[in-house]
Amino acid sequence: MREHHLTLPLTPGITDDVLAGDIVHLSGEVVMSIGLPTFRRLRQELHDGVPPPLDLRGAALMHISSSGRRLDDGTHELDYINTTTTTRFDDVMPDLIRGYGLSVVGGKGGLGEESVRAMRETGTIYLSIPGGGATLLSSAVREVVEVHWTEYIWQFQLIKTRFEELGPLTVGIDAHGTSLYSDLKSKAENRLPAIRAALSARREADLRARP
Amino acid sequence: MAISYELLKTVTSQMYARSLRHVPVEAQRALSKASADEPDPLARRTLDLMIDSAQQAQQRDHLLCSDSGIPTYAFKIGTRVDFEGDVKAAVRDGFHELAATSDPPLLKHVTNPLTNERGYEGKDMPIMSFDLIDGADHVEIVCSPKALGTGRWSTSEILISPTLQEIEEFVLDAVVRAGSQACPPMIVGVGIGGTFEHAAHIAKEAILRPMREEAANPIVRDMEERLRDAINATGFGPMGTGGRTTAMAVHVNYSSGHGFTPVAVNFNCWIDRRYGVRIGNDGTVTHDV
Repeated sequence: MREHHLTLPLTPGITDDVLAGDIVHLSGEVVMSIGLPTFRRLRQELHDGVPPPLDLRGAALMHISSSGRRLDDGTHELDYINTTTTTRFDDVMPDLIRGYGLSVVGGKGGLGEESVRAMRETGTIYLSIPGGGATLLSSAVREVVEVHWTEYIWQFQLIKTRFEELGPLTVGIDAHGTSLYSDLKSKAENRLPAIRAALSARREADLRARP
Repeated sequence: MAISYELLKTVTSQMYARSLRHVPVEAQRALSKASADEPDPLARRTLDLMIDSAQQAQQRDHLLCSDSGIPTYAFKIGTRVDFEGDVKAAVRDGFHELAATSDPPLLKHVTNPLTNERGYEGKDMPIMSFDLIDGADHVEIVCSPKALGTGRWSTSEILISPTLQEIEEFVLDAVVRAGSQACPPMIVGVGIGGTFEHAAHIAKEAILRPMREEAANPIVRDMEERLRDAINATGFGPMGTGGRTTAMAVHVNYSSGHGFTPVAVNFNCWIDRRYGVRIGNDGTVTHDV
């Protein structure tokens, strides 16, 4: 487990050295949203050749939720941030990762095989954000840079935020295609026959001990 | 002597607000124990971050998670209790007031499943369940806002005259299906028997049972311990990035039934969102029970 302090935009090739299971503290501008309609629309517009409302080429596009608002002077403020489960975005992420060459994605719970393949092609890393860590993570917010698609509820909008040392975040999937999530799932499934056998043996012992 | 609308409205609103900023002390202890027992440095670091987040949320009156969930309240009403005013209206109005005044604000999570519109209000919100306690002159209420991270992995199946082995393997499979996703280490609640809806209800009761309370039935106690150890052998670990502790506890509840045996499984994430109060008929409120 190594620790990295990464600044966006990432230097090309830097993710080669960031491995699954490492820790990252992330600084720079991240585009955040947790809206399924938002991500589906991004993919549709990518297919239709409509440019996105903000530059996503090589960007960090992460599933980070937030509470915030636009102030009268046109600036924005955030109250807190945290994350959401990313597997429900599995159907849209591969196209977005490939289409925009995203450098960083992330949230919690990982992404599926097709996303991992796409990330390997583009050198993308997935950062796991601790659910329930709003208290600690929110202190890394420095400013809201821009906000788009304001017709959605706040946390579904596309919000570009500048962070300083957001973290600690765990590299859940690295740019070489190693995914802690698929590794752990396979290991658990492979262990299941032995776990079931141990469970049965213990059940029989428990029942014998309590006639 | 009676429990008033105003008191219920204030207390149920406070319960929601506190449940979002507060990790029950037993869960904090379980996280500390998991950290002490964890050989993997990444898993230990994740657990320590959770412990830190729990402590700071309480000290700084900060929300733990951006998903403040949808409001659910479980009532147990003593049969000697008198109410002055409406009960369901008090809870509904209390939540509306909280949603309008909360600092920091709560996000809109209440979703109409027919239109996907989101807000703070909706049909059947807040979700309330009611039970009675014969002879008691108090009300027990537990507020447990339900978020997407764990809510989506709840499952149930009707088994036919199952063996304990079949029941336990169903629970194990439900945990493996949730895998890394339900913000482990979790509390796993299991309801066995009764009818379709009753099994789900007692599974929820199992989740809400404080960790300090043991199951009354010795067969259930044994089942809880061996299921917890089996789940922890899967290795998903804190935040699903690997480690020894995937479940802090397994709580099992059962009911007599017919030859068809529903088994329901639900999950609480590491925050273990639950906040209980007891309100006496004289209006005395005991918090965090």
